[in-house]
Amino acid sequence: MEALKLSSKKNNRTIEKINQKIRTGDVQVLTSEEMKKLVESSSVEVAFKEVDVVTTGTFGAMCSSGAIINVGHSDPPIKIERAWINDVEVCHPGAAVDLYVGATAMSQMQPFEYGGGHVIEDLVRGKEVELRTTSYGTDCYPRTQIKTSLTKDDLNQFYLLNFRNCYQRYACAVNSRDETIYTYMGKLLPQLRNATFSGAGELNPLMNDPDYETIGIGTRIFLGGAQGYIIGEGTQHDPKNLNGTLMVRGNCKNMLPDFLKGAAFAHYGTTLYVGLGVPIPILNEGLAKKTAIRDEEIFTNVVDYGVPRRDRPELKKVNYKELKSGAITVNGKRVRVSSLSSLKKARDIAGTLKSWIENGSFYLTSPVERLPRDSVFKPMRQTEGTPFVASVMQAAVTCYENEEIRAIAERIVTRSVNHIIVVDDGNRLGGIVTSWDITRAMAEGKTALADIVTRRVVTAKPDEPLEAASRKMAQHNISALPVIDAERKVLGIVTAEDVSRLLGR
Amino acid sequence: MVRILFRFSEELVAKPTTAEIILEHKVPINIITAHVDSKGGEFLAEVPDEALETVVKAFRQRGATVTLPELIEIDKEKCFDCGACVSLCPVEAITVAEDYSVNFDKEKCVGSTCSACVEACPAGAIESVKQNNAELANNALRAKRKTNNETV
Repeated sequence: MEALKLSSKKNNRTIEKINQKIRTGDVQVLTSEEMKKLVESSSVEVAFKEVDVVTTGTFGAMCSSGAIINVGHSDPPIKIERAWINDVEVCHPGAAVDLYVGATAMSQMQPFEYGGGHVIEDLVRGKEVELRTTSYGTDCYPRTQIKTSLTKDDLNQFYLLNFRNCYQRYACAVNSRDETIYTYMGKLLPQLRNATFSGAGELNPLMNDPDYETIGIGTRIFLGGAQGYIIGEGTQHDPKNLNGTLMVRGNCKNMLPDFLKGAAFAHYGTTLYVGLGVPIPILNEGLAKKTAIRDEEIFTNVVDYGVPRRDRPELKKVNYKELKSGAITVNGKRVRVSSLSSLKKARDIAGTLKSWIENGSFYLTSPVERLPRDSVFKPMRQTEGTPFVASVMQAAVTCYENEEIRAIAERIVTRSVNHIIVVDDGNRLGGIVTSWDITRAMAEGKTALADIVTRRVVTAKPDEPLEAASRKMAQHNISALPVIDAERKVLGIVTAEDVSRLLGR
Repeated sequence: MVRILFRFSEELVAKPTTAEIILEHKVPINIITAHVDSKGGEFLAEVPDEALETVVKAFRQRGATVTLPELIEIDKEKCFDCGACVSLCPVEAITVAEDYSVNFDKEKCVGSTCSACVEACPAGAIESVKQNNAELANNALRAKRKTNNETV
């Protein structure tokens, strides 16, 4: 055993040896897709012997991204209090003229279309942007407002500083509701009519070094088309559950707009697509094996985003091979699935990084510190309870469809309600009738209930947060929601009055 | 085949206009999508090239509006091949190729009667583009030529 260990140690590569080979042009680099093929057609031993570096890549919407910029001092100087670039509000986290452009901040004139991500892309493209700032004025910084135009060349520093990038894997999203929803996982059609996923699977950097043997603080990487660095684990880093993340930094002035794209998710918000690739030095046979990981070995959950809770129902397990195939089966139904991150760009990034190393323009670094391998991602400590539909729901006043309008009108008066829920013999939801419907029926001389029933009813579930129910009522401009269970049996009703009594709006 | 969008007023919806025209001219009109509400109705249908003139005339005589549907266009300069649109397309006109490029087949697109992909594009690369009505006849001609080329 001891001898074996020693001999394998002797055969191990070092970063220095790899860099030496880069210098002499003898380095052997494969993209992670090529590595998988090599291991499959030969063996881990052969791959270890032949390959020095495996390159990875991912190109996805990474909302926890942004750029730190220093705009220099004006004359007379200003201590910026609030600032906007192209109408997108940016943060003023430090002293006088340092700004942080957050990817998800939205333009005030074009919200949901243009945001911080687009500002960063425009600057990287070399476009001129408009800076507008205000201040309260001090003895040393007397100026109270400035409007000026800037390009990246006018900035002292322009660094991408992303606090959570490169999710190791991500959930696959579906929507069980009866209506389309708009999420950070894109547009999700009702009743599981489509599914979306994110992440590059076998091309993802962290999936190729899941034990963080080579990825650490100080690892040089591909970032936005330039060379950048890993500066730590990302926020919400959860390595034990294979949900690792990275914090990264890179000089935007060297980046390329092809690998840094502002984007907008309809009715959700704006973001930044970031291209990121990490070279994995094959220091030992274990790494040769790990970098041969296949899409079919990487699993994630199909999650119901129709449930507006932190812990959403997980409907099934799928692997990235299935996800990349274009269709999955959920609840016995074929569901078309597509990616939100660009697999084409991910492949392109792994290939570009490979060519950089081969042509000697990119050298590997040894991390100065390893990333945590046992940290946990805790939920928020909440000191106040959240109200749910069940907590304000009332008993519903119901009727059957064969009843006369007159009888319903009487019930509205005697029970003093505005909504009557139409049910069948099994207490299942058939429709809803409001006092307004009755008034109109009277005016139009209608007598049959069937003629005035609203059958496409917007409903709520008892475990739904009250705020979600309130949002639904506002969106559909209605004042009550029948509360139903999974079999569409009527459990009660929640009205706008009940909601405003509790939420105070 | 040419894809045509037919629009009807509220009064016309109640009449079996399409059935009458199909029977009268013996044209196999293939209805792809249809939608009716209180303001009237519209349907998208495929009409054989050779019957196009007759069909358009017949529908117009009965008071229907005949136009070309708006189809989507993908700006490949802006598109970064993510795929957010792919699973939304009900007719599988947008697909992912072997090299992970996002491909669009205009022939399959049902255009403005759907447009599910337009708002969902994170890159803002998809637009619903009006087809010029005056070009209706030209388009039909072009379609005819194309079909001929393919068969030759």
